[in-house]
Amino acid sequence: MSDEAKIAARGITRTFGAGAGLVHALGPLDAEIESGEFVCIVGPSGCGKSTFLRIVAGLIPPSEGVLSLGSDGGQAPLAAVVFQDYSIFPWKTVEANVRFGLDLLRVPRHEADTRVERSLSRLGLTEFRKAYPGTLSGGMRQRVSIARALVTEPQVLLMDEPFAALDAQLRHLLQDELLELWQEDRRTVLFITHNLDEALLLGDRVLVMSARPGRIVGEFKVPFERPRSGDIRRSPEFAAMESEIWDLLRSEVAAGIPATGGTKVPA
Amino acid sequence: MTAVDLQRNTTSRRIERKPGPVERNPRAFMRRRRIIDNLLRIGAPILLIVAWQLVVSTGLLDRRFWPAPTDVLLSFQENVATGRLAEALVSSMTRILLGYLIGSVAGILGGIALGVFRPLRIALEPIISAVYTVPKLAILPLLLLLFGLGDVPKIILIALGVFFVTIISTIAAVTSIPEGYLEPARSFGANRVQTFRHIIVPAIMPDIFVALRLAAGQAVLLMIGIEFVQGDEGLGYMIWNSWQLFLADRMYVGIVSVALVGVVFQTTVKWIGQRLTPWEKPRN
Ligand SMILES: Nc1ncnc2c1ncn2[C@@H]1O[C@H](COP(=O)(O)OP(=O)(O)OP(=O)(O)O)[C@@H](O)[C@H]1O
Ligand SMILES: [Mg+2]
Repeated sequence: MSDEAKIAARGITRTFGAGAGLVHALGPLDAEIESGEFVCIVGPSGCGKSTFLRIVAGLIPPSEGVLSLGSDGGQAPLAAVVFQDYSIFPWKTVEANVRFGLDLLRVPRHEADTRVERSLSRLGLTEFRKAYPGTLSGGMRQRVSIARALVTEPQVLLMDEPFAALDAQLRHLLQDELLELWQEDRRTVLFITHNLDEALLLGDRVLVMSARPGRIVGEFKVPFERPRSGDIRRSPEFAAMESEIWDLLRSEVAAGIPATGGTKVPA
Repeated sequence: MTAVDLQRNTTSRRIERKPGPVERNPRAFMRRRRIIDNLLRIGAPILLIVAWQLVVSTGLLDRRFWPAPTDVLLSFQENVATGRLAEALVSSMTRILLGYLIGSVAGILGGIALGVFRPLRIALEPIISAVYTVPKLAILPLLLLLFGLGDVPKIILIALGVFFVTIISTIAAVTSIPEGYLEPARSFGANRVQTFRHIIVPAIMPDIFVALRLAAGQAVLLMIGIEFVQGDEGLGYMIWNSWQLFLADRMYVGIVSVALVGVVFQTTVKWIGQRLTPWEKPRN
């Protein structure tokens, strides 16, 4: 079974530093994400969400355990990341930033042009294509970062709080946009957020992580039919589920802040 | 105390935020500022020269050591007419530019190599620091011994001076590239060449141009120093020789020419740098 999952994490832990400065950031963590599944991860700040995402992306290895990814063997790159801090390049124009992944993949110029074009207009960046990121707002930079990842049409999309810096309205718009994009082609998505509302709207499943070192302490299947739209927020089931997850999360958030005297919940 | 005072002040009157002259008419403001900038840029040196002229012609300073700007100008014309100045300029500039080119290319390439390959950096950085500390002019005799009296030892010396400034800055620039720029490249599967082209080169460019400007000054300085002590051509020789012949006017012609060379050189490097790093917006 586990061999068929798109992403399979087995006993993943990660520590940083050594000796007195050792930080146990993550795990042990087990998780499986099926191909075409949209999985959201929520958890207290500093619990290791970004660390887990980096391990999935292959940017850092785990300290223990094995993470495996199934590749469909096609042309599409295995994974693309939307970073929490945008990480777009100040020396490239908006257009060149979005084109970056395609350049590395040596996508033919003509095809790259049309894909970049489409991606810019989807994210409302066409007007600013020649601008350098230094002159953009935070939300616009974040959109560049999202466009840069989407344009490569990766098999797995890894998103680290991609909408955190956006205002509520734009956030809603981009959530709907992402929902639509995803419903078109059902890519595998691992989506980190602090926002339960967002997790329930977008995800097939929501994984709740404990305070650092983060483990999975809860798993919720989101029952709403697809295709979904923002309207499901108004249903009573939505509210009920949100408060159920929040109850679990609250004890973890408290555990992460020593002053409240919380104790860690074992996995 | 102060905090209380401040608070009392702010509560006792209203503070308004209003559009300033820039906001009310940005174009007129920019035009006016450009005019003022140019006046300052040209006016300040002119004022200095006028003051100098006045001080000398009123006899406050000894004209034998402090020739008036008019004297210098006359001598300047004379030296241009005889071709002496052009000859000195060409001979100095050829060596400066050659040395500068060799030194900066080697420094940048070496800096990138050391920045990227850790073992190389660990092995060579202390040696570079050690050699950097030796005053370059101190090894001129050694170079003369090794390479004879021609241009070669002079060009090597200038190249060395430029090399150390650029290699040290380049190493620092490469090693301080934020992870935030390298991670996206890695996550998109960039290979070494692609990382180099898309990330490393543009990321270090601004720092490199600062180093290149410093190195430009260094190159001029070294050239003059070399020409003082060795050979019979170039601006340095012209200044030194004028001193020996007690020709203060011509000495100043040389000094002013060196200063102009320095300004033009550094401004050119800065200009090229600004063209090549359009994403950097210096606050005016
Ligand atoms: N490169 C690193 N070196 C040392 N410690 C690190 C490093 N990266 C992360 N950590 C530590 O690991 C822990 C988890 O960090 P991580 O960034 O994964 O948290 P997070 O869950 O993404 O938090 P947030 O929701 O605030 O983004 C933190 O305590 C952090 O200090
Ligand atoms: Mg994070």
